[in-house]
Amino acid sequence: MKTRSRNIYLIPYVIWIALFVVTPILLVLYYSFFDIDGQFTFENYKKFFTPVYLKMTFSSFWYAFLITVITLFISYPTAYLLTKTKHKQLWLLLIIIPSWINLLLKAYAFIGIFGTYGAANSFLGIIGIGSKQILFTDFSFIFVSVYIFLPFMILPIFNALDELNPSLVDASNDLGASRWTTFQRVIFPLTLDGVKSGCQIVFIPALSLFMLTRLISGNRVITLGTAIEQHFLVTQDWGMGATIAVFLIIAMVLIMVLTGKRKRGIL
Amino acid sequence: MKKISKLSTIYLIVMFFILYAPIFYLMFYSFNSGETMYQFESFTLDWYKELFGNTRLLIIVLNTAIIALLSATISTILGVAGALAIYYARRRRVKNTLLSLNNVLIVSPDVIIGASFLILFTMIGIKLGFISVLLAHIAFSVPIVVIMVLPKIEEMNTSMIYAALDLGASRWNVLTKVILPYITPGIFAGFFMALTYSLDDFAVTFFVTGNGFTTLSVEIYSLARRGVSLNINALSSLLFVFTMLLVVGYYFITKRNNRPNRLGVRQ
Amino acid sequence: MKDQTIIRFEQVTKQYDDDPAVLNEVSFEIERGKFYTLLGPSGCGKTTILRLIAGFIEPSKGKIYINEKIVNDVPANKRQVNTVFQDYALFPHLNVFENVAFGLRIKKLKNNVIEQKVKEALRFVNLEGYENREIREMSGGQRQRVAIARAIVNEPEVILLDEPLSALDLKLRTEMQYELRELQRRLGITFIFVTHDQEEALAMSDEIFVLNNGIIEQSGTPTDIYDEPINRFVADFIGESNIVPGIMVKDFSVQFAGKTFECVDGGFDPNEAVEIVIRPEDLEITKPENGKLRVHVDSQLFRGVHYEISCDDQDGNEWLVHSTRKAIVGEEIGLTFDPEAIHVMRHGETEEEFDKRLEAYEEGNYEN
Repeated sequence: MKTRSRNIYLIPYVIWIALFVVTPILLVLYYSFFDIDGQFTFENYKKFFTPVYLKMTFSSFWYAFLITVITLFISYPTAYLLTKTKHKQLWLLLIIIPSWINLLLKAYAFIGIFGTYGAANSFLGIIGIGSKQILFTDFSFIFVSVYIFLPFMILPIFNALDELNPSLVDASNDLGASRWTTFQRVIFPLTLDGVKSGCQIVFIPALSLFMLTRLISGNRVITLGTAIEQHFLVTQDWGMGATIAVFLIIAMVLIMVLTGKRKRGIL
Repeated sequence: MKKISKLSTIYLIVMFFILYAPIFYLMFYSFNSGETMYQFESFTLDWYKELFGNTRLLIIVLNTAIIALLSATISTILGVAGALAIYYARRRRVKNTLLSLNNVLIVSPDVIIGASFLILFTMIGIKLGFISVLLAHIAFSVPIVVIMVLPKIEEMNTSMIYAALDLGASRWNVLTKVILPYITPGIFAGFFMALTYSLDDFAVTFFVTGNGFTTLSVEIYSLARRGVSLNINALSSLLFVFTMLLVVGYYFITKRNNRPNRLGVRQ
Repeated sequence: MKDQTIIRFEQVTKQYDDDPAVLNEVSFEIERGKFYTLLGPSGCGKTTILRLIAGFIEPSKGKIYINEKIVNDVPANKRQVNTVFQDYALFPHLNVFENVAFGLRIKKLKNNVIEQKVKEALRFVNLEGYENREIREMSGGQRQRVAIARAIVNEPEVILLDEPLSALDLKLRTEMQYELRELQRRLGITFIFVTHDQEEALAMSDEIFVLNNGIIEQSGTPTDIYDEPINRFVADFIGESNIVPGIMVKDFSVQFAGKTFECVDGGFDPNEAVEIVIRPEDLEITKPENGKLRVHVDSQLFRGVHYEISCDDQDGNEWLVHSTRKAIVGEEIGLTFDPEAIHVMRHGETEEEFDKRLEAYEEGNYEN
C-alpha cells in the first residue's frame, strides 16, 4: 500500500524537469564550447577573460549592486511604515499591483516622462534647473530599474517585519534599548532573511536586464543580459552567448548560496 | 501600535505617487489628440478607435490570449501533478531535490531561460513560432503553479486522507473526492498566476519566437524601440484595466479562501 | 469463547528503519461487543496499535487477524473497521450530511438508502437537523459527533477512537464519556479507545490495556488494574500511589517503614524484597498513638473533594493521604489502613507470572 501506485504524478513532472530544466542548462554548457562556425573550442572562455568582457561583467555587477542597494534603502523604510498602517494588507496589495503591470509598459512610460519635453524636464524647468538630457543616461537606467524592482524588495521585507513578534520590540525597549538600538540589535537581524531574499530577487534580474538597457539607457549600459541577447539574436554567435550565460548562471548560484537559505514560496 | 508620524506619511505618499504616476501618465496621454507624450492638446478616443481598426494588432492580441489560456491550462495540470509528486515523495532528499529543480526556472533570469530554450528548440527541430512560444510558456509556468498549489496540499490534514481511506475510498477516490476539492483555491490561484506570467512575458518570448509570430509584449517592444506612439498608450491603458481585472479576480479567489495574505509578486 | 474474538495480534512488532521498535512483540485478543481502552503515556505505542488495526501501517513482524483472517496487507479501504480521528479529520469542503455519507457514496449505495442511513446515524449521535450545516459552523463537541456518525454509518465491526476527547474542554469531555459509553452499549459493536487519561480509561472501559515503551504492561478490567497493579509503572500511571520498598517476611506478612504488617498477599519467597503500594484514599488519619504509621505533615493542598496531605515518616518515605479531614502542617499524625489496602508487587514480574502466582496462592488459600 505504501509504495505501489503512489507516484504516477512523478512521471509528467519529471519529464518536464528533464526537458525544460536540466536539458537547457546542459545545452547552454555544451554550446559554450563551440565557436560561430560550429567548431569545438575553448576560445569563448579565453575571450571572456579579455578586458572587454571583464569590464562589461564588472560594470554589469556594479550597476546591479547600485540598483540593489538603492532599492533596499528605499524599500526597508517603506515596508516598515507599511506594517504600521491600519489596513496594511490593502496597502501592501497597492504596492504590489504595479509589479503586475507589464514591464514594457512601465519602461515605455518612462520614455515619455524622461523625454526631452517630458514631465521630468518640465518639472526641472519649473524649479529653475532647466532642461537636461535624462533619457539614455546612467541615471535614467538606475532610476527605472529601481522603480521596477521596488515591489519585489518590499514584499519579502514586509513579510519578515510582519512576522516579527511585537513583544520582542517591547522586550528590547523594556531592557532599556533606544529605538535605534532596538532596530540595530533586534529588528534588523530578525528581518535579515527578508532582506536577503529581497536582494536576491533584485540582484539576479538586475544583472540580466536587456530590454531596459535598450529602451532607457540607449545601449550606454551593457549588462550580461544585453550581451547574451546581442550574441544570440544579433551576431548569432551562440557559443559566446552561451559562455556568458554560463558565467551568469555561476554568478546566480553564488548569489543564492551567499544570501543563504531562501524561503520557499517567495518569488 | 504607535501612530505614524507626519514625515512617515509623506514618505509613503511619495512612494505611492512614484509607483503609480508613470502608469497614469501613460493612460492620460492615450486620450491626447496630439502625437506626443508631453503636449496634451485635447481629449480624443481616436487612438482606441485606431487600435480596434488594426487587424494585425487584433490578431496579435488573439495570439497572446490563446497562448496565455492554453499554457495556463496545461501548466496547471502539470503543476498540480508536480505538487502531488513532491507531496507524495516520501524521502526528504527526493522532496528537496524536486523542490530545488522546481525553483530553478523561477530564479533564473529570463535571458537564460530564453537563450537556453532557443538552443533546445533549435536542437530538437521545433520551428520557432506558435508551438515554441507555447512550450516555453508552459515550461516556465509549471513551477509557479507548483509553488501556489503545494502549500495548500501541505496544509491539508493528513488524517483527512486516512479518514477517506478508512471509509473505503480508493486512491483515485481520495484524489478526486478529497484532495482536488480541497486544493481547488490553490489550483485557481496557480492558474491565474500562470495566466499573468504568460501575458506578461517578454524576454523568453522574444528569444523563442520566429518571424511570423508575435505576442503583445514583443510587439510593444518593437513599437517602443521606434519611439513614442500613442497607440501604445491606448494599448497600455487597456492592458492595465485587464490586469486589474485579473488581480481583482485573483484577490477574491484567495480571499474567499480565508487567507488573503501572501500574494506573489511577479517577475 | 473463540468465536467471540474479533481481532487478534500475534507477536506484532512495528519498527521504523533502525529506530527502536515502537511496538515490541505485542500479543492480545479483542472480543466482540466490548469497550476496550489502550492507555499509556505518549509514545507508548497505543496509537501505533490503532493504526495497525485500521490498516494505515503494516506490521514489521507478527500477524494481525481480523475475524481469524490475516489482514497484514489488507489496505485500510478494504477493512471493516472505521476510525474516529483525534482531530476528527472531517472534510472541510463537504457539509455534515456529505461527510457522513462519504463512505456510503464510495460504496455506491442508492441515494434514498444513503439518506436514510445518514439520518439514522445522525439521530444516533443527537445531531438531527444538522444535515446541511457546514463543518466550520459546528462546535467542537458537534464535530466530534459528526466524526462518530461518519464512522458508525458504515456499520463497521470495530470502531477505533484515537484520543477523540482530548480537544474538548473538561465539562464536555465528561459528558462525551457518558455518551460514548452509552452509544457503544446501544450499538453493541467493539470500541477501541486510545487515551492517555487514566480517569477516562477507568470510567469508560470494559477492559484496559496499559502500555509502556511498546509493550503491554498489564491488561484487565478497570478495578483489577486499579486494585492490583502489577508493577511500579502501572501503579504510578493509574491513580495516585504511595510506593515504598518492603520485605515479604512470609505469606500474609510484610515489613515496611520499620514495622511488620498483616496483609493479604502471598506466593513470595521468604524475605523477598518487594514494593508496597497503598492508595492515598486508603490511608486514614488518626491520633499519632493510634496510627500504624507515625508521620509528620509536610504540606497540604485543598483539592475540592478532599485534602491532599503530604507526610514524611522517620525512614524518609513520603506518604500521600487523601482525606476529607484537614490536617495541620508541621504536626505529627497517625495513619491507619486495612490489611486489604496493602498491595505487594514483585520486582520485574510479568503479567503472566503475576496471574500464575495469584492463582497459586489463591488455591492455597482455599485449601487452608
